[in-house]
Amino acid sequence: MNAAFLKKVKRNDQLARWVITVGGMAIIFSVIFILVLIAKVSLPLFLAPKAQLQQVVQLDRANEQIVTFGHDEYMETAYRLLDDGTTVFFNLEDGSEIDRFEPDPPAEGLTPLTVESFGRLRQAIGWSDGQLTVSQVRFKPFFDINNNNQRRIDHEIIPLALFPTPADGIPLISQARIDEEGRQTRVNRYPGNHLTLQVREVSENFLGDEEITETETTLSFNSSGTLTTLILSAAGQHLYAGTDRGELLRWYLSDTEEPKLIETVQAFADQRSITALNLVLGDVSLAVGDETGQVSTWFPVRDEMGDKKLKRIHTLSQHNGAVQKILPSPQDKSVISLGPNKLILDLMTSERFLLAFGEEEGLIDFRLSTRGDSILALTKEGRLLSWKLDIPHPEISLGTLFGKVWYEGYDEPVYAWQSSSASDDYEPKLSLAPLIFGTLKGTFYAMLFAVPLAIFGAIYTSQFARPRLREWIKPAVEVMAAIPTVIIGFLAALWLAPLIERSLGGVFLSLILLPAALMLSILAWQGARKIEPLKRLERGFEFLAIAPIIILTIAIAAACGPGLENLFFAGDLKQWLFTEMGTRYDPRNCIIIAFAMGFAVIPITFTIAEDSLSNVPNSLKAASLALGASRWQTVWRVILPSASPGIFAGTMIGFGRAVGETMIVLMATGNTAIMDLSIFNGMRPLSANIAVEIPEAPVDGSLYRTLFLSAVILFVMTFVVNTIAEIVRQRLRAKYGKF
Amino acid sequence: MKNRNEALDSYWRIGEPMVWISATALALTLLSAATLLIVIMVNGLGVFWPSDIEKVHLKDRPPVFGQLIRTEENAEKTGLRRQYKIANRDLYGLDFRWIDESQIDETQRPADLIVLERVEHGDFYGRLKTMTGPHTETSAVDLAGLNSALEKTTVELDQLSELEDKLSDASYRLEQLRLKQLKLDYDNAPVDTAAQSQLQRDKAELDREFGALITLQTRRLAEVRKAKAIFVDAAGQEKEISLVDIFQAYAPNTMSTGDKVVFYLHKLAELFIGEPRESNTEGGLFPAIFGTVMLIFVMSLFSFPLGVIAAIYLREYAKEGVVVRIVRIAVNNLAGIPSIVYGIFGLGFFVYGIGHGIDMLFFPERTPTPTFGTGGLLWASLTLALLTVPVVIVSTEEALGAIPREMREGSYALGATKFQTLYRVLLPMTSPGIMTGLILAMARAAGEVAPLMITGVVKLAPALPIDGNFPFLHLDRKFMHLGFHIYDIGFQSPNVEAAKPMVFVTTLLLVLIVLLMSSVAIGLRNRMKKRYTFGTF
Repeated sequence: MNAAFLKKVKRNDQLARWVITVGGMAIIFSVIFILVLIAKVSLPLFLAPKAQLQQVVQLDRANEQIVTFGHDEYMETAYRLLDDGTTVFFNLEDGSEIDRFEPDPPAEGLTPLTVESFGRLRQAIGWSDGQLTVSQVRFKPFFDINNNNQRRIDHEIIPLALFPTPADGIPLISQARIDEEGRQTRVNRYPGNHLTLQVREVSENFLGDEEITETETTLSFNSSGTLTTLILSAAGQHLYAGTDRGELLRWYLSDTEEPKLIETVQAFADQRSITALNLVLGDVSLAVGDETGQVSTWFPVRDEMGDKKLKRIHTLSQHNGAVQKILPSPQDKSVISLGPNKLILDLMTSERFLLAFGEEEGLIDFRLSTRGDSILALTKEGRLLSWKLDIPHPEISLGTLFGKVWYEGYDEPVYAWQSSSASDDYEPKLSLAPLIFGTLKGTFYAMLFAVPLAIFGAIYTSQFARPRLREWIKPAVEVMAAIPTVIIGFLAALWLAPLIERSLGGVFLSLILLPAALMLSILAWQGARKIEPLKRLERGFEFLAIAPIIILTIAIAAACGPGLENLFFAGDLKQWLFTEMGTRYDPRNCIIIAFAMGFAVIPITFTIAEDSLSNVPNSLKAASLALGASRWQTVWRVILPSASPGIFAGTMIGFGRAVGETMIVLMATGNTAIMDLSIFNGMRPLSANIAVEIPEAPVDGSLYRTLFLSAVILFVMTFVVNTIAEIVRQRLRAKYGKF
Repeated sequence: MKNRNEALDSYWRIGEPMVWISATALALTLLSAATLLIVIMVNGLGVFWPSDIEKVHLKDRPPVFGQLIRTEENAEKTGLRRQYKIANRDLYGLDFRWIDESQIDETQRPADLIVLERVEHGDFYGRLKTMTGPHTETSAVDLAGLNSALEKTTVELDQLSELEDKLSDASYRLEQLRLKQLKLDYDNAPVDTAAQSQLQRDKAELDREFGALITLQTRRLAEVRKAKAIFVDAAGQEKEISLVDIFQAYAPNTMSTGDKVVFYLHKLAELFIGEPRESNTEGGLFPAIFGTVMLIFVMSLFSFPLGVIAAIYLREYAKEGVVVRIVRIAVNNLAGIPSIVYGIFGLGFFVYGIGHGIDMLFFPERTPTPTFGTGGLLWASLTLALLTVPVVIVSTEEALGAIPREMREGSYALGATKFQTLYRVLLPMTSPGIMTGLILAMARAAGEVAPLMITGVVKLAPALPIDGNFPFLHLDRKFMHLGFHIYDIGFQSPNVEAAKPMVFVTTLLLVLIVLLMSSVAIGLRNRMKKRYTFGTF
């Protein structure tokens, strides 16, 4: 033969071997690759938070006393407010001064006494005659056209409000707030637990003129201790105070004439002094720092009497000395607290300790940037330190994903999934527990329906049915497996669900009537089988004979259902369930899921079980029958045990399919993430949740990654189940040859 | 008596009732499958049948025109009530109405009742009163006259649609110019180059052309819209409808059964070639069918070779051992991974990974507007290819395994190499098996929805993945899919009751496609099994 041709043939052969081997190996790698990729996306959820020290700026503090400071969004320029009211703007990179604003007192010759900074770059300056001005620093980034479109940041100070001198004279300290409607609230603290409230409201009278009402009231209260710290909510509606005997006080200031002291709570039994208070983003939770260094958060919860009482909800980190200051993050529910020698960042919702930094720097004050991603802190020596925070997903931890969490406004810790809401200060509730529960619940009911039908059906088909019929039944069931699940789901939701809702009584009646009818017909068959032509039914036509009986029974049940409901359940079973049993009937519930998902699972389990049953060697069957065993005894004692691994594998693979089924549950469950075992409720499984939420999830956000994590969970669930099933099948194959 | 009891006892003891119970399980399974098919058939087949319209005279309310949908017991269980489709959504606000039989005086079937299929607001049931505007002067005021006027408007509309084609072509070219401009800007090309000025000239010219086309279209459309007809409903309420908005008019009460069959077939044809109307609840399914076919086709291009190669590796090349066992486990796992996990993988890997990478490499000037970095036909096909590879592997492997050893040995004995044996002997013999796998994979792709929902399927795609503009095949485009169509109109449409007929029709179509495909596949496989059974056992 031609040598060149032989060479070509050999080369082709080698090439083919190489290509085919690579292709085959690619399959293993693709499975691993899928897992690795989805796991990689979800992994950053669990990355440790980091804080990186970025800059240290030494300020010239020889003859100035810094009261407060702040900075712009880009961390380029900052300002410091001195005790004489001067605002100094400076470059954050080198500390060089840019601009200096002299204070603007409401009258000649006044000097600032107190300065309080709050909210977004706002400060209230109390003057030496008791008047109070509120102003805001505003940074305006713009692009300088004259200078090659470079970004520069302009700054200005805008006066917002002026409060007159209170009647009781010059207070120790004041807090002032302005809400969106222009209501101005000022709270003054005097020595000896004396508090007053000044409110200035602008309203329109019936003539359309503006009317200004100014009121001043004393906030009286009883306390064994002395007030130590106050915090007024952003809109000035709520006032919280702490005392040196561990008490927390809460006022509601909406009614200016009669501000209401809602409660006085002995927060700490050991009467430790409360040293710092602030409100967490959203103004619902109160962060409390005490002299032992403990930081905790509180919000009102309904007690046994139905009253809302402040209650300690979350206990956060512990400092090694009194807490000096607490600030909330402007972006999420995290809280940053300053102790004697460090800053600690905690997430309130999950009580997760995020970061501790600035140890041994002698920090005395700090601010958070408006994006919440950097911190500026001041030391005793007048150094400004800035940290860049890298906390990719503060709200996610194993605790929030799988455990019970006490969310704001809830009366107790719950498992909840609620990924988004309209407001910014919203606590995302990303607990996977109700979703996993939903998946397992739906799967359980579906398997309850499908497995007996599939296995018994497979037994009948492989052992009792006529071979000629068998040749039709098997392909028919296989074709059934090909019916798209979107169609099953659609019919379940739009045809079956209303049908079952209308005739719920009939459904339950048929559950009773069906076995009864079956028993009756078996008994009746006792007599009938003696007749020769009928006896032929026993040679593999039983299922054809039983079909009309099933149809008839279901028809009778459907017809009698309403009458039965009238008789026993006052005409409406759903109403009866609600009033007597306390279970709500959802139209899209587990009954529907059991039917629909069962319908999707049956063909798979059936096919695999049937395969393994018919592959049990005929010799076994023949031997058993020859020994005088009946056909059922042979099946039950001989064939079923031999085929049991295959049946198990079929069940497992069916389980895997039910766990991952998406369209049916998406359409027929109602998708409410509740944890309730009742068969009359719906659920929200992992798979449907992914399908619903992923189109709206911002790429690389917490929700996006959590959804990938739930995909990993689904993957792992099916992987374990399928691997077990496959190993069992491989064993079986080794035992009985091929199938 | 005793004897009988004994017989009964032994009947129970030998487990004969258990046989019956297992027979019941099988019967229930098959019955439920049959029920599903029957429900789809019953609801889907009748949708296009032009049923008669009744004029229902009510006791103390004005009469209504309606098509009887069903009759059932009323809520108080005192008598029967009937559901009528009363159409005229823009007049009444709802499509269906329940009427108690006790309220009904009598029903008639007047011959002059006309059903209008409209472009908007669903059907209209009523009588023709007058017609005004062009093409209507010579026509008689009856159905025939209306139809002839309609025909004339249709001719004009066809001319207008030519204009529309030109317009969409112009807007496509404008878009291309905009992209070119973007590219130039991105490359920081100086403003005064030849390319730039040429671009500007082209753009100005196209703008002019576009403007002229728009004006022409607006004028002609206004002209055509002048042709109007006034219809009256049962209560005497008048409604003026522009002929352009009428898709079709017919009088079911005068149609013979033969006419109705012809009409039915027409509607069926429209279903296959027509565009959807009324947010997909009416009209045809052409884009969805086309999208499904394209998806299956592109998917097969990937999953077919991959699956066959992997199966050949497993059966012919790999040595039985730990590796092969692991690969088998991997294949079966691949088949068992939930489809939504494939979807999310496709989104993370294909769309945001590779797609985004392609955008960054080849279309940096268009970012952040994604080209390939968003769901599209290509990514959906790839995702589905991964999902269906195991199906091809399993059936190809099965087919290879069924070929008796002697065939291979005979080939080797004649001096053929392994590859030659494979190529000349084994593959031809396994081709039915491979076809089976491929058809099953296609059937799965036709019915799978969950992964598509997040990798590029949309409820209404503005353009088909194939068109006359270069490069003709647009794999980056979003597409429509029959399965998603069902989910979308069944669950996301504002008027679920009115959308139901269309959902059932789509369901019927999809079920027929899938059942046909899988029956063929399974038939093929069973035939092949028989052919080679002499080798086993």
